Amino acid sequence: MKTFGQVNALNGVDLTVGPGTLTALLGPNGAGKTTLVRIIATLSRADAGRVRVFGYDVAARPAQVRARIGLTGQYAGLDEELRGWDNLVLIGRLAGLGRRQAYQRAAELAGTFGLTDAMDRRVRTYSGGMRRRLDLAASLMTRPALLVLDEPTTGLDPASRQQLWAALEELRAGGTTMLLTTQYLEEADRFADVVHVLDRGRIVASGTAAQLKARAGSQVAEIRLDDPAATPAAARALARWLQVPPGEIRTEAGTGLLTVAAHDGTATLLAAAAALAADGIAVAGLALRQPSLDEAFLALTGVAA
Amino acid sequence: MTAAAVSYRAARDSALIAGRQLRVLRMNPGRLIYPLVQPMVLLVLFVSVLGNLAITRQPGAGSYREFLIPGIMVQNAALTAPTTGLALLRDAGSGLADRFRSLPMSRAAVLIGRLASDAVIFAVQAVLLLGAATPLGFRLRTGLPGLAGIVAVAVAFGLSVAVTSAWLALLINDAETAERVLFFPAIAISFVSSAFAPVGELAGWMQPIARANPVTAAAGLIRSLASGGPAALPLPQLACWVAGLIIVPGILAVRRWQAPS
Repeated sequence: MKTFGQVNALNGVDLTVGPGTLTALLGPNGAGKTTLVRIIATLSRADAGRVRVFGYDVAARPAQVRARIGLTGQYAGLDEELRGWDNLVLIGRLAGLGRRQAYQRAAELAGTFGLTDAMDRRVRTYSGGMRRRLDLAASLMTRPALLVLDEPTTGLDPASRQQLWAALEELRAGGTTMLLTTQYLEEADRFADVVHVLDRGRIVASGTAAQLKARAGSQVAEIRLDDPAATPAAARALARWLQVPPGEIRTEAGTGLLTVAAHDGTATLLAAAAALAADGIAVAGLALRQPSLDEAFLALTGVAA
Repeated sequence: MTAAAVSYRAARDSALIAGRQLRVLRMNPGRLIYPLVQPMVLLVLFVSVLGNLAITRQPGAGSYREFLIPGIMVQNAALTAPTTGLALLRDAGSGLADRFRSLPMSRAAVLIGRLASDAVIFAVQAVLLLGAATPLGFRLRTGLPGLAGIVAVAVAFGLSVAVTSAWLALLINDAETAERVLFFPAIAISFVSSAFAPVGELAGWMQPIARANPVTAAAGLIRSLASGGPAALPLPQLACWVAGLIIVPGILAVRRWQAPS
């Protein structure tokens, strides 16, 4: 548990990260993700409760924990005034590597993250994506057994995000245990072996991405209208015929796309088709699909992510 | 870990941090203007304005310029010292601080390393000022040992103010406030001292403060070291101040740095 003044930032969070797995903490801003990560990385202390990393209590044996983890925080832990080399070597040596080892490891990681040509430049000249990759490289200088990543792709453009994801894929293939926080459902969906959904300091759901999606209510019926202008009329017709509250029918303005949870699978889909036909609304397409993690998140927390 | 291993680690990590600081300065030579160029300009200005007012002659202690110049040296060290605190605070608020705190490195190294690199700055500043002061009428009658002694006094005094500023900056915990708060006392302490005039010439209410002021002790010691006069009074007084200002605020600053929120 962690309290900031009157605010319970974390309240009764209980989770285990299995060795070699990638665990994602998914939640909106203010859910408590960063607080939890800071406690695990020995940067903050829990007011109650206990966190153990490889058997070492983070409060009682912080040095043992620090020797085994790598942290990539939300803000790059780099010296902007120094070159790529200086940063990686400094961090490697502070973590206990010798000078030669540190240079070798820095060169290796620069290669892995496509930074070889940038290592002689000062970090302040780097793009946001390069900075994140150098920061990730810095966390990996000592080959940590657990890598903790706090929103590693927040604020990155799509191309940089893809590059960072590729780097994470490679690390996972190499067997590094990772704990990652994210606001992006896509990220959790794509990578995580286990997803914990954090909302207002509590874990509201845990499981694989597929399990969480299943909890969002079976499947989703997707209806595309011929005429987007008919969307409100179609929503009313669906609500009446399927006997669901109008709020459960999601519409996308201007596209003529409507979605609704299909609790009875194909039967729901057929009922929807019949409802629209009865009201004389032309349908361009009908489909049944798995819910997205977005929809799962909404169903689990009541808040759109 | 044994005590030897711990202190080896602290020394090694401090050296790495000091190396980082000096490298940043090498990459940004403009940052040397404040600690190295501005003091020389101030020296010339002060001596040009005040140096001809033969207001006070210490009996047997040479010209007023020889009295004034050590005061200006100490004043400049005091003006440079708060940059230590500001730099440490800037680091504390950056992602780099979290990086350092999550590494298995020595906790004290962040402060000790910065002080080590600042000691180099204070030493260079003192040598430059002595060099610039010579054509202005400053006489070093004691040769190299005197020079080494004067540099040591400037470094020790500068570091003691630097450590205190580091603690205060971390206590204030806001870069803009710290910037506005820390320089003022650094200016004030050099006026309420014997930096520019003998204590006996100051306003009555200032005299007891000026007598206890480490600036008075440091300036007096530099005057003695330059002229070969007695160092008996200022030396123990300055030593007490330096030890006190380094040890107590130093421990508090390191605690403050590593305190988990």
